[in-house]
Amino acid sequence: MAGLEEVSHRHDDSAALKEANRVPPGSPILELKALQKNYGSVQALKPATLTFLAGEIHAIVGENGAGKSTLIKLLTGVISRTSGEIAWCGKPVALATPNEAIERGINAVHQEVVLCQHLTVAANMFLGDEVNRFGLMRKKQMEKMAQTVLNDLGFGLPAAAPLNSLTIGQQQLVATARAAMRGTQFLIFDEPTAYLTRQESAQLFKLIRRLQAEGVTIVYISHRMEEVFELADRVSVLRDGTHVGTRLIGETSDEELIQMMINRSIEQIYHKEEIPIGETILDVRGLSGPGFEDISLTVKAGQIVGLYGLIGAGRSEFVLGLYGREKTTSGEIHWMGNKTEIKNERSAMALGIALAPESRRDQGLCLNQSIGLNINLPVFQRLSMGPVINRGKEAANANKQIRDLSIKTPTRHVAASSMSGGNQQKVVIGKWLSHGAKLFIFDEPTVGVDVGTKAEIYRLFATLLKEGAGIILISSYLPEVYELADRLHVFRSGQLVASHDFHAASHEEVLGEAIGA
Amino acid sequence: MTVTPAETVAPPPRKRMNILFSLTLIGLLLFLWLALAFATDSFWTSLNISNLLRQGSMTAILALGQTFVIITAGIDLSVGAIVGFAGVIIAWLLQAGVPVWASIIITLLFGTAIGAFHGFGIVRMGLPPFIITLATLTSLRGIGLLITNGSSINITNEAFSNFARADFLGVPSLFWMVIIMAVPAFVFLHLSRWGRYLFAVGSNPEAARLSGVNVKGMIYLAYILSGTFAAFVGVLLASRIAIGNATQADGWELQAIASTVIGGTSLFGAVGTAYGPLIGAFILATINNGANLLNLNSFWQRVITGVLIILIVYFDQLRRRRS
Repeated sequence: MAGLEEVSHRHDDSAALKEANRVPPGSPILELKALQKNYGSVQALKPATLTFLAGEIHAIVGENGAGKSTLIKLLTGVISRTSGEIAWCGKPVALATPNEAIERGINAVHQEVVLCQHLTVAANMFLGDEVNRFGLMRKKQMEKMAQTVLNDLGFGLPAAAPLNSLTIGQQQLVATARAAMRGTQFLIFDEPTAYLTRQESAQLFKLIRRLQAEGVTIVYISHRMEEVFELADRVSVLRDGTHVGTRLIGETSDEELIQMMINRSIEQIYHKEEIPIGETILDVRGLSGPGFEDISLTVKAGQIVGLYGLIGAGRSEFVLGLYGREKTTSGEIHWMGNKTEIKNERSAMALGIALAPESRRDQGLCLNQSIGLNINLPVFQRLSMGPVINRGKEAANANKQIRDLSIKTPTRHVAASSMSGGNQQKVVIGKWLSHGAKLFIFDEPTVGVDVGTKAEIYRLFATLLKEGAGIILISSYLPEVYELADRLHVFRSGQLVASHDFHAASHEEVLGEAIGA
Repeated sequence: MTVTPAETVAPPPRKRMNILFSLTLIGLLLFLWLALAFATDSFWTSLNISNLLRQGSMTAILALGQTFVIITAGIDLSVGAIVGFAGVIIAWLLQAGVPVWASIIITLLFGTAIGAFHGFGIVRMGLPPFIITLATLTSLRGIGLLITNGSSINITNEAFSNFARADFLGVPSLFWMVIIMAVPAFVFLHLSRWGRYLFAVGSNPEAARLSGVNVKGMIYLAYILSGTFAAFVGVLLASRIAIGNATQADGWELQAIASTVIGGTSLFGAVGTAYGPLIGAFILATINNGANLLNLNSFWQRVITGVLIILIVYFDQLRRRRS
């Protein structure tokens, strides 16, 4: 807590603080010394010692759940550390609040833009730091200043436009410009390109290099290897909350980094068994709807059909259309050989289709409700005698899924929101296992899920296949669909652009088809 | 995006906390009763207790209907106006010579139709619940005034108007009505799958929908129940005051919402019970009753009610944060 004294004075001499930030390029600007964060008994970040050098682009890679987000939150003052020390420009600091981090010049740009959608670009850039005269905002002047900054950075964004009129990529640039404008010395990017197009990513990279040239230290978090090799000077690897190592980018390779990240061979994670392929369950012919066009594919019993593409390529939209959530405009669906109409979610479920949707938070779970309610939600009808629920059956069904899937919880009454991503995903899967289905659709089932749980989920797929079900697996993580799917379809801009049998195309080919290179 | 593991900080089961919370509410109610029994001579008399139960009963039923709506994360501002409107309708029907049973059923159907209209406005027209129910609040008052030409309709049917004053087994008939409504409401909300669906819709309508819940149907159902309960209260009020007047039950929607919130229902939806609002309604009725007995300026009652809402909901928030 040696930094507390400085914290209390930060309003008086924040200018002096920034003055102190002048660290010669190449020498340590931020040092972590045995930094540690526990949530209860869970070690989210095991004692980590890591040095960031002034003016470098330092990539941090690691699987979901490796501790990357914990590290960012510690550095930006969102959470407080359990033990250890952070030294900023050679002096220990508290970084107890987000404000302290910002005043010292540490800032972050997140994957999802956290700005006010209804305000203008200029208003967002000046938010919390408005230019006033006699207590009134000087809107015109702020717009002019913002426009100068935006023009100077080389992107033609209108400062007076409302933020929600821009694409996510452009909003990301605004967020970066906002950080740059505030005298940021140390800028953290948290998977910024997840939702960006290629052109937008290229523009962002240009901006990052420019900031680096101006002396800003960049931390770049990503799990896209090609970006890391394109941008970074050094790269650090986190695995299960441990800092595994740091390499100069010229002295490492894809293989070494992946090995460090997962510490096990691909075969150990991706569990694939020889399962006989059965009759056709689903035959979709030329299905079109909002966000997807003319999609034809089949799913057979015992088969995993993988849908790969970038985020926004139309895969989720396609399965939502198939599931009856969105209206389809043309095309035919044949189920077990018969032409059928799927009017809504309930008719899809009645046929035997289950959908574990993309976003647990927005689509998958009633977060503030109990695990039990979430698991039983699709099957309450079966658990009821007339209108009244059989409480014994209700408990038994929930407890069975909790046990079978080894969901870590003291009781089924715990709210779904208090569980980790992996356990939440198990609840989403559990509700469809208890419902039962002939066709399971898993949309990004392993986002935010740790490696161990991932392996469990993949083994579960094999069990479902052996019972005669078919699976549609959507993933933006190529190795996942590449190693698991018997048939791999590539989506781009709402269309199915290529199809391959298991391992019939290389990673590079599939990636190329997905991005249209 | 990494989700931080936090299963070890899982809160204790909510159910037990709910029971605990309602126990403290009952404790508050009993405390108020004891305090008033000591402070005044007239509180603990059968006349006053009957009066208290009558006063609280109608708010309690109204709050019960409101709870279904609030659990879906909605709001029904029209219930007070429905009470007044239903009073006009039943008075008009009775004076036209329609039999009592038919009058009651027709009046209840009016409430159902108004609730269905709210469902239509929310589900089909995409209007926010606040807006559509605010609109019916003003419109219904207007229609009621048009029907009665601004005056009251007297109810001369003695059988009907005696009902609200009658006792059964020593307990006011109005309080029996609370029990008759509350028991099925409890079964519906806590023991049937429709209740589970209401909570799911209030928590995350998209997740409920993708799990096969008929979300639109559940929203219709919640507002239909609220509207019908309100029409039922309108019938009871008409019986009690023996007139139908469109301006009656002014501001009762706020009483109902306050009772619901005091009873532990979250205005953000998906949190609440069937019994909480009943206790909340009788706490409010006790405060009004006590203030009368203590000769407190009736204007103070409003102030006290407001302060109490802040305190109770604040302590409820504290409790949630701690768990």
